[in-house]
Amino acid sequence: MSALIELTELGFAWPGQAELLDIPAFTLQQGESLFLKGPSGSGKTTLLGLLGGVQKPGRGHIHLLGADLSSMSAGARDHFRVDHTGYIFQQFNLLPFLSVRENVELPCHFSKLRTQRAQQRHGSVSQAASALLSHLGLVDPALQARRADSLSIGQQQRVAAARALIGQPELVIADEPTSALDSDARETFLQLLFAECRAAGSSLLFVSHDQSLAPLFDRSLSLSDLNRASRPPEL
Amino acid sequence: MYLIRLALASLANRRFTAWLTVFAIALSVCLLLAVERIRTETRSSFASTISGTDLIVGARSGSINLLLYSVFRLGNATNNIRWDSFETIARDPKVKWAIPISLGDSHRGYRVMGTSRAYFEHYQYGRGQALQLAQGQTFADDPFAVVLGAEVAEALHYQLGQQLVLAHGVATISLSKHDDKPFTVVGILKRTGTPVDRTLHISLQGMQALHIDWQNGVPAQGKGRISAEQARSMDLQPHAITAAMLGLNSKIATFSVQRQINEFRGEPLLAILPGVALQELWSLMGSAEKALFVVSLFVVLTGLIGMLTAILTSLNERRREMAILRSVGARPWHIASLLIVEAFALALAGVLLGLALLYLGIALAQGYVQANYGLFLPLALPSRYEWTLLGAILAAALLMGALPAWRAYRQSLADGLSIRL
Repeated sequence: MSALIELTELGFAWPGQAELLDIPAFTLQQGESLFLKGPSGSGKTTLLGLLGGVQKPGRGHIHLLGADLSSMSAGARDHFRVDHTGYIFQQFNLLPFLSVRENVELPCHFSKLRTQRAQQRHGSVSQAASALLSHLGLVDPALQARRADSLSIGQQQRVAAARALIGQPELVIADEPTSALDSDARETFLQLLFAECRAAGSSLLFVSHDQSLAPLFDRSLSLSDLNRASRPPEL
Repeated sequence: MYLIRLALASLANRRFTAWLTVFAIALSVCLLLAVERIRTETRSSFASTISGTDLIVGARSGSINLLLYSVFRLGNATNNIRWDSFETIARDPKVKWAIPISLGDSHRGYRVMGTSRAYFEHYQYGRGQALQLAQGQTFADDPFAVVLGAEVAEALHYQLGQQLVLAHGVATISLSKHDDKPFTVVGILKRTGTPVDRTLHISLQGMQALHIDWQNGVPAQGKGRISAEQARSMDLQPHAITAAMLGLNSKIATFSVQRQINEFRGEPLLAILPGVALQELWSLMGSAEKALFVVSLFVVLTGLIGMLTAILTSLNERRREMAILRSVGARPWHIASLLIVEAFALALAGVLLGLALLYLGIALAQGYVQANYGLFLPLALPSRYEWTLLGAILAAALLMGALPAWRAYRQSLADGLSIRL
């Protein structure tokens, strides 16, 4: 396995504040699923922002698929992000005014690469969307044509997963996607997510504070162990 | 393009405020175009009230006053012209034709004008159009014949052969009526869109006959009264008229004839060039018309600012939408374009709805405006000037859309992918 993400001597601080992140080394292998435990305020959102290329590190390097994000322009980072990364957030992931299927197709409108991959694997973007939604348990075509905000939270998260996976990005970043789900739905969602990531060959970086999920992953890490800048918990 | 689809879908999601915004813009656009159209039509119908007449002659007063009462049937003459003065002027070799005008009576709010048959031959309006009869003929020898303007006939439902009684003075409700000397309708003129439509034309002899037994502004009583029958056999040559319209043999002579009349020794007279006086009058009304135009421009501006407010207030609640778009690959300039497209779509819908409202309004009000104000509003396609105005509104909307676009651009750079509530 080769490294998908490689962080070296990464440092980041918001303007006028002390350094929030100081990560000497971190790697994520291709096809690996990693559980990253990060309590709120640990700089987890900032780290995801850096991996997505929305922010630029103050020092050090971020290599994604061998390319150095820290030396790219903002536009190039945006391009790179959509081509190679799919995101799933905690809640309210979808544009309420679009249909379920249109929500899944969104990344393909901004990435030629993912459009091509979706076409190669499924014939067309809309077939890719339907297939992914079906795999994730949303088989009914009428449901796929409904407005996204008419679905339950659990269904919405599965739509978000389908969107993150369309066009087989190398990396799927999930930021507490299960925190709004009950424990049964949580497990089901994760199994579906693992299966689809495996099918697409994507690595999964899963960020959560719910330690009980950690055993389901290939590897589990804590951001506070990784980050030298994190203060010891005040007791 | 996909961005347009996204912007429209997002707008549709907020359709209540979106429609309100569109409606506000539509109303303002409709107002602007209506003002513009009425302005243009008023100006052109105003300028075409009279043509072919080289000079208007009246007792010495102001030129606008003279124009108002002789052409527009508004206001009153301060003094009359003696008949022999009129004859002297009419006999001048430089004068091709002369139309005498005698005013002062009315019929149910419409002015009565005494004149000669020369009026029907030489009076012109618009681009040199002569008066034409729709029915009947002009008055002949009988003094108690009347030729109606189109609007008078239509509004009062008069037909040929009908008898009507004229009232003394020009007040809408007149206490003294010439009810002993009824007139017969002998002709009805075609519509001209000028004050002619609102006039009853009688001969100077008829006018004289009406007042033949009047003394000091009141009719004679008892034995002094003269019946219509008696009047017919009397000498009905008028002693005075109110004004006269002149056509000259040569336009070059206009100024010398004007000077000649202004220096007339017999009595103080005033000759005006109708075109010049119309210009003067229009410049008086022009500032009101410009003010109206400016006001409607500001109404449009208000409509657009309403749109700007609606978009700006929506920005905060749409941070999540922006962040989702960013996470699926939209770049900050995509987000900015979305807002520009949104502003443009709102303005375009507003302009189109405004046009629709305008045409609906014109279609509904056309008849009423024509009947009551003598103004014909055509259901024509927008003129080039109107297109320019509409284009300017859209351009202004684009420009205004740049403000929320810039804010969303900054916001989406700062927010990134984080979508905390």
